Amino acid sequence: MPDPRAPLRIEFARDVEGLRVVRQPAPAAAASFSASYVGPAGWGFDPPGEEGAARSAAQLVTAAAGPFDRVALARRLDRAGATLSQELTPEAVELTIWGPADAWKELLGLLAVVVRRPRFDPDDIERVRRQLFERQLRETTQPAGRADRELLRVVFPPGHPYRRTGLGDRRSVARLDRDALVRFHETHYRAEGAALVVTARAPAAAVEAAARRSFGGMRGAPAPALAVPSLGSARPRSIELDLPGRSQVEVRLGGPSIAESDPEYPAAYLANQVLGGRQYLSRLFQRVRERNGLAYHASSHLESLRLGGIWTAQAGTGGERWRRVVPMIAEEVERIRRRRIPDAELRRIRESVIGELPLALESTDEAHALAVEVAYHDLPADFWLTWPDRLRAARPVAVEAAAQTAFERNRSATVVAGPLSPLVRT
Amino acid sequence: MPRPGVPRPALRRFRLPNGLRVVLARETESPTASVWVWYRVGSKNEWPGITGASHWVEHMLFQGSPRYGKGEIDRAVVEVGGTLNAFTDTDFTAYYSTVPREHLAVPLDIESDRMTRALLRDEEVERERTVIHSEREGNENWPEFLVEEELFQLGFRAHPYRWDALGSRADIERLTPAELRAYYQRFYGPRNAVLVVAGGFDSAATERGIRRRFSTLPSSGDDVRVRAVEPPPRGERRAVLGGPGTTPYLRIGWRSPALADPATPAAMAVNAILGGDIPLFSVSSGWWRRAEHPSSRLYRALVDPGLAVRAGSSWHPREYPSLFTVWALAAPRQSLDRIEGVISSVLERLARSGPSRVELDDFRVKVRRGVRLAYEGASHVGFRLGYFSTVGSIEFEDRLYRALLSVRASEVRDRARELFRDEAKVTVSYLPTSGASNA
Repeated sequence: MPDPRAPLRIEFARDVEGLRVVRQPAPAAAASFSASYVGPAGWGFDPPGEEGAARSAAQLVTAAAGPFDRVALARRLDRAGATLSQELTPEAVELTIWGPADAWKELLGLLAVVVRRPRFDPDDIERVRRQLFERQLRETTQPAGRADRELLRVVFPPGHPYRRTGLGDRRSVARLDRDALVRFHETHYRAEGAALVVTARAPAAAVEAAARRSFGGMRGAPAPALAVPSLGSARPRSIELDLPGRSQVEVRLGGPSIAESDPEYPAAYLANQVLGGRQYLSRLFQRVRERNGLAYHASSHLESLRLGGIWTAQAGTGGERWRRVVPMIAEEVERIRRRRIPDAELRRIRESVIGELPLALESTDEAHALAVEVAYHDLPADFWLTWPDRLRAARPVAVEAAAQTAFERNRSATVVAGPLSPLVRT
Repeated sequence: MPRPGVPRPALRRFRLPNGLRVVLARETESPTASVWVWYRVGSKNEWPGITGASHWVEHMLFQGSPRYGKGEIDRAVVEVGGTLNAFTDTDFTAYYSTVPREHLAVPLDIESDRMTRALLRDEEVERERTVIHSEREGNENWPEFLVEEELFQLGFRAHPYRWDALGSRADIERLTPAELRAYYQRFYGPRNAVLVVAGGFDSAATERGIRRRFSTLPSSGDDVRVRAVEPPPRGERRAVLGGPGTTPYLRIGWRSPALADPATPAAMAVNAILGGDIPLFSVSSGWWRRAEHPSSRLYRALVDPGLAVRAGSSWHPREYPSLFTVWALAAPRQSLDRIEGVISSVLERLARSGPSRVELDDFRVKVRRGVRLAYEGASHVGFRLGYFSTVGSIEFEDRLYRALLSVRASEVRDRARELFRDEAKVTVSYLPTSGASNA
């Protein structure tokens, strides 16, 4: 019987002309295939005055490429039984194709066409522009989007790649023309600093050969680097944004955090799971929802990227209840920072995290997410195999110390957005 | 020659004397096991005054049963590395846990404990009231939710599809713990349930474990068929909603056939050609997912020329006739009147000329390719087997699949004619009254 844990071991093939090729064995029972191009094309790379370029480019490369206009590409994917999706962080773009395992070579070739030969048809550019305008408006008027946006704007200094959400503003998106988008693509969709992550039954040598056929010849200038200004000193801040007529108030408490490469990351990861990351077991869920019935969602997130991170504790609650929820969340953040997590609680959370690894191995797309994470953060090939040991090595004292770093309060902010009336302070 | 069917794992099916239907789908290589319990109970079984009861029961089934105190169900599953949740629809409620396969006994034990014996204590029901209010408030922040709720209220006068599964604000405020317990005791039981276990497990031991745990439950569960019959529509109905927001939004509905209706496959083709979606039969159309479909007619007529930023059709066939809907989110400076006019001409053209050969061929390929990966992963297997067992039968999935593959162009044309009648039309517009303008 095949080893069900095989997908946990990532294989690095030889670089294909500067492009790092990462292969992961597909889960034994899987009938599908996934491949992702992960490249230095996140919105942190938006040129000044052209904010929104990265998001526009990502939408456009997955819309029409090579011989396929928008309709032809959609039909091509449907006919292959495949999907093509894009995700962005401030640092990178991830373009993923997923479909039947027996069509893997054809799908890998299609992904290469998308990455390398986008059409940037004028009609598509205008369509994406209109869609971005609409998303900008939603972001400013929807409580959840507005709270997220304001939090980043408050806790990160001007010029910091994490300060923005990538949607740009009306003026910058209006300015994006075909030349700007082609320029962005030429600079940021490349081999250097990028990885091709393939989850397939095919052996590494076959993946490498197919990658060479489809992605060879992408070598160009050195990979672009992101400039990250110093966070500087700051003090906790509080913002209340009244959005009359809405029903729910969104609460965010958060701030800058650590990168995944930080030695304290495994301990910080556990601290976040205890605080609000492990939904049903976490302190925020238990206190805000289960014990007090104050909110439908209450959770925390630690998004550790390459250059740093962002932590958030959040809840969505009724107009009359947010004043009770805000101090509750703040207290729980302070408790995780100031008081050692009891052994039994930490053990329960840790074993839950470790125990869930098999769940990521039941289908190709879930296993693939693990391989993308290894590629994105340049982690060792056995990262997921040794992950349980690293979590078990994090003692309560180390978790407490990591929580103080990862959930730093001096630079944090509290943002409340929604129907706050009658008291309004902005 | 064997007739084509949906590729799926081998099944073992049986029924316990108390009426519980059981489906086992074993995949020896799967590292997980997924346990699903589907009840044929949903918001269709509620009535004015207790709308939202099925959804509330869904919440309460995590709040305590004889062997699992409050919070212990979550803990028992999550501590072994599992994940669990539940969802409520008009026609059903489903509860699931996926765990590493060696822990399969945990969710089986939980489901048997809460199938007929959940406690629904007064104090827990009261505490959950504000959580459910919050869930509804979160949805109300989205104009799309408000429009959909209004659309179904306008579209139905007698049938329980007229209210959303979340229930009305007033009923969430009013419903008593005693009423909720009575609702649970009346409908939730083996006679109305399907238990699906999928993944890597020992078949004989699992069957023994199921018989031991579930056979002792009483044979309960009242008839869940809906007696109310919606009268035929006699004229167009319209509503205009106002509220905070940025973008005008339009949604139009027409009475649609029930899932088991022979007209359904052709109506699903109409949906695919107009909006691109083929729920459950296309890789780009999950049950909840709404992807962009640039090759669909509405997208090409509305989004391509810049009238809308997004547009499509949406239809999930249900147990009883429901609403087939078409929607559009206006682009800057575009009026909903103009968009509605274009939608009308798109629908008229389909009703007049039917689909092109290419469109129909694309539809069939999409269905054929779409189901190939539908059964990947124990959780997906559990979902799909449970869904079809609940709304019809697993064989019904094969029949529907074959029917989709053999839909003819004339059937699609005739179905579009039958669907898009003015007297059956329900229209709801959302016009932002505050916030930034999209002009």
